[in-house]
Amino acid sequence: MTNSRTRRIFVEMVREEWRLHSHLFGGGRFAAFPVLIAVLAAGTTALLVVTGTGATTVIAGLHALALVFGLHTGSIGFVGRDALRNLLGDVTLLVFSARTLPLSREQLLAVFVCKDVVFYALLFLLPLSVGTGAALLGVPTAAASAGGPSAAASAVGPAVVTAVGLWATLTLTFVLGLGATVAGIGLAGRGVPGVALLGGLLAAGGAAWAAGVDVVAYTPYGAYLAGTPPRIAASVALVLATFAVGAVTYDPTGRRPARTAGPAFRRWWRRIGDPLAARTLLDVHRSSGGFGKVVFSAAILFGATAALVDLAGQITGVAPSVGVSFGAVLGLSGFTTYNWLTQSDDVDSYRVHPVAVPAVFAAKLRAFLLLGPLVGLGFYAVAVAWRGARALEAVVGAALLVGVACYIFGTTVYLAGLSPNEFLFDTALFAAFGAAMVVPLVPILVVGFALTPVPVALLAALGVGSVVLGAAGFALYRRAVPKWERRYRKG
Amino acid sequence: MPAIQIEGLRKVYGDVTAVANLSFSVDEGELFGLIGPNGAGKTTTMEVLTGQLIPEGGRVSVLGVDPVARPTAVRERIGILPEKESPPTFMTAREYFEFVGAVRDIADDVVDERVETWAERLAFSDHLDTLASDLSRGQQQKVMIAGAFLHDPALVFIDEPLANLDPIMQERVKRFLRDYRDAGNTVVITTHDVDVAAELCTRVGVVHGGSLVADVRPAELPAEKTLLDVFIERVDADATGGVVDDHA
Repeated sequence: MTNSRTRRIFVEMVREEWRLHSHLFGGGRFAAFPVLIAVLAAGTTALLVVTGTGATTVIAGLHALALVFGLHTGSIGFVGRDALRNLLGDVTLLVFSARTLPLSREQLLAVFVCKDVVFYALLFLLPLSVGTGAALLGVPTAAASAGGPSAAASAVGPAVVTAVGLWATLTLTFVLGLGATVAGIGLAGRGVPGVALLGGLLAAGGAAWAAGVDVVAYTPYGAYLAGTPPRIAASVALVLATFAVGAVTYDPTGRRPARTAGPAFRRWWRRIGDPLAARTLLDVHRSSGGFGKVVFSAAILFGATAALVDLAGQITGVAPSVGVSFGAVLGLSGFTTYNWLTQSDDVDSYRVHPVAVPAVFAAKLRAFLLLGPLVGLGFYAVAVAWRGARALEAVVGAALLVGVACYIFGTTVYLAGLSPNEFLFDTALFAAFGAAMVVPLVPILVVGFALTPVPVALLAALGVGSVVLGAAGFALYRRAVPKWERRYRKG
Repeated sequence: MPAIQIEGLRKVYGDVTAVANLSFSVDEGELFGLIGPNGAGKTTTMEVLTGQLIPEGGRVSVLGVDPVARPTAVRERIGILPEKESPPTFMTAREYFEFVGAVRDIADDVVDERVETWAERLAFSDHLDTLASDLSRGQQQKVMIAGAFLHDPALVFIDEPLANLDPIMQERVKRFLRDYRDAGNTVVITTHDVDVAAELCTRVGVVHGGSLVADVRPAELPAEKTLLDVFIERVDADATGGVVDDHA
């Protein structure tokens, strides 16, 4: 009875998700999303291979991407309590039906997470694997020599074998990232013992890494590199253990007394000079996770960059440019920061006030400039102090970070207004955003990871490029405001 | 002088005509009710009048200002309480009022004084420092009502003014609205509750299919006829073809 009911909920949630996206974006645009992902993956992989990037680096990068994607998807847990009880209260999704149907919230949430995993695995990770597998046909990888799934592909030929192996480990990596975030949030919410345990686990992992233990071997990426039964078992066990910790510690429904707060608005308003920006920053501060979630999103990028820089260094024998690589990648935190800044409100919520639509966007820009580049630069400073960089390279990297962050902000505002989440599964928007990112960022990343030391002339060009990117971001923002004002008032 | 004037208003969403050739006016000092079945065009009309939406046709004027051309100027002078709006999730009730004061350029001490008055009037003094997300729906409605009146506007638009309020609070809000109108201000309410409109409003417009199908002064209806009778007659029968029948 329970199993059949769970199955039924799962099927209905999948159907609901499909209808939600196809209704929002149109069935054709939504259905085309996996095709676009496959084409983008194939094109990017081919481009990287042609420009001298090793296939192993591409595969490692894909796993890093899947981990980041999983970690970020899991960070929805930061707003989980608020989302369940307040923010999405008007959205009548099955996951919110515990009060009207004989189903527990825990059961609904578990099925909801499973549905998300299946959805992302099929619509995002599968086409990613297929596109990459097709582009890597005949290209030797480290896994080929180690006997991983692509070894079979090289021998048998069909890209489908590479794609299936890659898909399996990418999905496991995504699930690991998602579970790790949920477990982290769960432990952090369990008071001092939970935080101590979380700190202990992170410290143990860090110590093992520092001691030279091949930590990666026990992850799904390790299973991809060498698909031996022990490695596969270890990676699956790691994923299961992570999820078990999350399931035991994460409480999405815990009731709490009504929260009170001392009046902070006027103080923030006077400091910032804009009541709308003050409200936006208060929203971020008081929603679950506080400013920590902005830092967390940047930390994910920081960790992924550090891992990629290490890996690229191991493969090529030459350490990539710390300034250029960290600067460019940490600039991407502009997107996640803007996402958090637009999480709690929309233009509609200001319509009762004498506030024009451009003023709402101006407040988001102000809040973004106060928060986004600063958080990115904080991690960048850590990277430069940790890994070292020439003075000029460090300055150019910082400029790149700010330029890329502003460019992403402007592009996102132009394409999606105050709803950056619309990129997800809207094929047309995603394609436009992807193209807008790939054109300037791929050349910068190729320089950062493949050309070292970066010649002074090239560094100067990158410095100029960062200014151009920032200016392009502001130009896009200025064009976006009247466009969205017309659209919002048109109804 | 009319506080609101609408002539030939037309608003469409894709293939759906929400408001079709709507015309009426509301005089200063009226407590005007706009009633109609679901999808009649009440909310769309309110959103055009408050400068939120741009119509496809017609002319509108609110307190002598065109809300289509100057939406912010109109909203500076009016109060708005949409049905589905609640205070910002992560602000306390007090901070929300401070926010309203900030965007409306009201001095801090004036805001504080008015907040105290409203908190006492609607009995939410104990919840002023509670985050809006943790207020009950009724408490949120009280905060939104107070927020709509905080700047002492000459004209207020309210969608379902009594929603989520207990009977005692409903009576207090009704009394306040009458007093407010008696002071020379104008109030426009939209509601599904015909009884509330009949009890509260000096004049009621019945909207159906995006057009005004009746314009009624409840106090002047014949003894054997209620506002509900008029509503059912004009909406349910739907035989008039949108011709306005002035019962006043």
